[in-house]
Parts: sequence; structure tokens; C-alpha cells
Amino acid sequence: MLAWPAANLSGPTVERSAKTILICEDDQHLRQLIRVVIGEGFQFVEAHDGDEAVELALALRPQLIILDLMLPKRSGSEVLAAIRPELSRDDTHVIVVSAWPDADAAALEAGADGFLPKPFEPEELMTLVSTVLGQS
Amino acid sequence: MSLSARMIAASVILAVLVAGGFGVLISAMSALDDAKQREAHSKDVAVAALALEKLFGDLVTGERGFILTGEQRFLQPWTEARKELDRRVLEFEQLSAANPEQLQRARQLSAAIRDYVLFYSEPLIEVARTNRAAARGEVAEAESKRLTDEIRRRFDTFRSEEDALAAASASSADRQSDRAIGLAVTGLVVCAVLIVLFGVYLARSTARPVRAVATAASRLAAGDLSTRLSRGGPGEVGELTAAFNRMAEELELSRAELESQNEQLRQSERRKSELVRIVSHELRTPLASVLGFTSVLLDRDVPPEEQRHYLDIVNSQARRLSSLLNDFLDAERLEEGELELSPKLIDMGAVVAEQVQLYKGQSAKHMLDAALPPTPLPVHGDPNRLAQVIGNLLSNAIKYSPDGGTVHIEAEQVDSVIRVSVRDQGLGIPEELQQRVFAKFFRGDADVSGIPGTGLGLTIARSVVEAHGGRMNFESARGQGSVFWLELPIAANGP
Repeated sequence: MLAWPAANLSGPTVERSAKTILICEDDQHLRQLIRVVIGEGFQFVEAHDGDEAVELALALRPQLIILDLMLPKRSGSEVLAAIRPELSRDDTHVIVVSAWPDADAAALEAGADGFLPKPFEPEELMTLVSTVLGQS
Repeated sequence: MSLSARMIAASVILAVLVAGGFGVLISAMSALDDAKQREAHSKDVAVAALALEKLFGDLVTGERGFILTGEQRFLQPWTEARKELDRRVLEFEQLSAANPEQLQRARQLSAAIRDYVLFYSEPLIEVARTNRAAARGEVAEAESKRLTDEIRRRFDTFRSEEDALAAASASSADRQSDRAIGLAVTGLVVCAVLIVLFGVYLARSTARPVRAVATAASRLAAGDLSTRLSRGGPGEVGELTAAFNRMAEELELSRAELESQNEQLRQSERRKSELVRIVSHELRTPLASVLGFTSVLLDRDVPPEEQRHYLDIVNSQARRLSSLLNDFLDAERLEEGELELSPKLIDMGAVVAEQVQLYKGQSAKHMLDAALPPTPLPVHGDPNRLAQVIGNLLSNAIKYSPDGGTVHIEAEQVDSVIRVSVRDQGLGIPEELQQRVFAKFFRGDADVSGIPGTGLGLTIARSVVEAHGGRMNFESARGQGSVFWLELPIAANGP
């Protein structure tokens, strides 16, 4: 279920200080790119489809979810609709990444804190992550 | 029979009936006139008979006066009567000629009078001129009385007959008059009824159907194109209703056609925006990797082994972009029938093995199990195009089994064809979507399930296989996975 790396799975033994980021993206290279760009200092957990995304989000209550809209099994919008009642904006931030640049308004409306259209510059992602995490 | 022919026929019948009625009326009036004339003639005859009887009376009175008195003055009326007698007799006979029996009687009467004058009266007067006593003899007197009585009796008979004839004529005239009035009234009533019936017939056969057409036309104009008139009706009315119904059918058909064309246009519009969406998504995902990793490589200090790894990703994603663009170009070429092949003798087994090798490392959840024969599978074909087809089938088998599983690949020679099949344990294709699987840009439920793709792969694959003289199809059921297979004709001499 957890593709990367299983040892990094947040649990009772994980330090409270290390923030957890859940990457929900079906393209393996993009998952890797996001990890590489955000860099050290975070716990990364990955979900390959919408079902996994909801399951991990509710189980781990991560500080940040990077959510692709076009996911197998359950779309990003459905994931957002499923987790938002359980995870408040104060506890869990969501950055939506999408190939449709005009999906931003709907994503923010549905409870996202930030929106990033594909393709994106690494700096854009970094800035957005710092901004939303800096809020908490 | 056409409506105009019917109307003309009805008018002719009405005219004939009216003319017949008037004819009967005129004949009755003419009969009445005849009867009147006969009555008038009888009166003339009676007058003539009376005049002749009076003349005869003058003859007898003059003769008697002269014989009794011997005075010449009594002979005056006899002489005048004698002079006028022939004219009167002729007139009397002529008037009586209308009735043969009366003519017979008139002639006998005339003959009796003439006989009386020639053989009795004239000789007697001659005798009386010389010997009055002889002329006054009893014998002569008795003879005179017998003859005059006989003539008067004949006059009575004649007059009573003529009276009877006059009475009969009068009664016939009455009857004819009654008959003429009766016929006139009956004819008038019959004509009135016929005219009313004709009017009703005109209304029924013309006005009513025309009103029905007008009503139907209004309904049609209001948009109810299912409006139809009941079939039938005479001649032109039948033609009118049939033409109307044809027109309504044509209108309904045209509207249905327009609506279906509109629907097709709307669908094509939807497909176009769908295509833009798909292209956008499919291009942006690899582009994001290419841009992202090159930026990382340019901006950051990346250890050499990772540099290599990132460049591999950039390379593979750039190839993915290139292949996507090729797919779109291929689809365009297919559309214009310009798919070009560079065929040569190849081993299909080797093509399949190469693709299996390529896809083996792509998914951790999937196992690729290839069953290939040790001997070559000779095919005359374009190796790049056929590799593209096999790659597409493998990629689909992996994409459409998101929970993972084994993908079985088989290549073999069956009779005179090389058959390659790819079986997965994935989602399968619902029956209602199976017919459209090879349609351009068709992606079934894939959009909803978030499976990426352009909906072009299978369209291109099947076209490539068919361009090689082969065929391609599949068996599938929802939730049961799919088997896609293709068959290519075996090459005459192996490689």
C-alpha cells in the first residue's frame, strides 16, 4: 500500500516535530519529483489512487496533502470531499496539482489551500508549500 | 372517380332531373291546352249544328208557309236558306271532322238534309206552284213530318254526342290542370330537395375535407409534426390528404434528421473539448517531469548518480511526449488514410519479447508472463508499427488492471497466421461499451476511474494490424479482465 519508503510511515514512534506530507499522484516520476523538490525534513507518504489517498489521509492526519485531481478509482475532488469533514484546514493543508489550469476555483472552493497547475516550476511548489505550512 | 368528375356528374343529374320535371310540367300544360281547345271546338261544332238546324228550320218553315198560303213572301226565307245551305253544310262537316264518329253523323245529317231538299222540298214547292192542294195532301204532310222528325232526331243525337264530347273535354281539362299543378308542386319540392342534397354533398365532399386540411395545417404550423389526415376521400380530396400526409412525413423526417445532426454536432463538440482536455492532461504530466527534473538539475547540486537517474526520467518522459504526439499524428494520418508502413521480414516473437522486456519494470504491482515459442514467427511487417501495437496492448493491460495482477502474453503460429494475445486480470470492459472500444478517442469509464490515456491507442493498433492484412479483436466482461488478440498472416519464407 505504501510505496515510498515503508520505513518512513508515520506512527507512534515518529517524532512529532517531523511534518508528514502525503503525496497523492498516480505518476511515479511526479511523486519522485515532488519529494526531490520539497527535500529534507519531512516524512513522505505516497498514495497511488484515490482510495489509498483517503485511507492514508484519515489514518495519518498529515500536515500537508499534495493531491492530483485525476487519480484512479476516486478523483482528487472526491478525495477532498471525503477528507475535509474529518480533517480541518488548521490541521491539514491541501495543495491541489492539476493538468487543468482552470480547476483552481473549484479546488479552493472544495477545501484546498493552494493550487498548482501542471507543469510547474520547482520554485513555485516550494513557495506554495512554505506558504501553506507557514500559516500553521 | 375524381371530385370534379363527381361534381360535374351530380350537376348533370340535377340538371336532367330539373329539365325532366319541367318537361313533364310543360307536357301537362300542353295537354291542358289541348283539352281546352277541344272543349272550345266542341262549342264551335255545337254552334255550327245549331246554325244548320236553324237554317233547316227556316227551310221547313218557308216551305210550310208557302204551301199553306201560296204567298210568295214565305218562299223568301226558303230561297235564302236554300242558297246558304251548301256553305253551312260544308262548314258543319269541316268542324265535325275532328271526331270520326261525329263526322260520320254530320255527313249522314247533311245527306239527310240534302235529300230532304232535293227529293222532297224542291219537288214539293214546284208542285205547290201549280197545285197547292196536291202539295198540301195528307200524304205529303205525313212524309214531311217523318223526314223533318228524322232530321231533328239526328240533330238531337249529334248535339247530345257533341255535348258529351265537350263535357269529356272539360273534365279532361280539369284533370290535366290538376295534374299540371300536382306535377309543378312535386317538381318544385323534388328540385328543392335535390338542390339541398347537392349543397350538402358539395359541403361534405369539398368544404369538410378542406377544413380538415386547414386544421391539420395549423396544427403542423404550431409544431405538431405527427399530425396526419385520415386516408381516403374521393379523387382530388384523396390526393390532397395523401400529399398533406407525405408533406408532414417529410417534415417530420427532416426535423428528426436535423435533430440527429444537431445531436451529432453537439457530440462532436463535446468530443472536441474532451479531446482538448485529454491532450492537455496527457501532455502536461510528462512535461511536468521534464521541466521539474531539468530545473532541479540546473538549480541544485545533485550527486552524480542521482543526476543520471533524473536524466533517465527526463529522457523517458520526453519520449513519452514524443510518442503521444506521434499518436495524435497517426490518428490524423489514419483519418486521411495516409498510414505509411515500411514492411520487411521480421520475427514477431522477437518484437513481442522486446516489448515485454520494456514494460516489465514499469509497474511493481504487475507481473508479465510471456509464453513465446523457441522458433521464429515470421511476419512481413513494419517492426516499429507492430512494436507500437504490442506496446499499446501491454500498456493497456497494465493501466486497466489498477489492482495489479499477472499479464499473460502469448505468441504462436496457428495454421497460417501468427496470433498474439495479451490477457489481463483487470477491470474488463462492460458489454454496453464493447462496441466502441476501437473508436477514436473512446475511453469508456477510464476518465471517471482516472486512468490516463488518449483513446487513440487501440484505434491506431487495429488500423496498423489491418494495414498488415491481419485482424484484431478482444473478449471481455466487466470485472473479469480482457483478452486482446491480433492475427497476422504468416510470411511465406521464415527469417
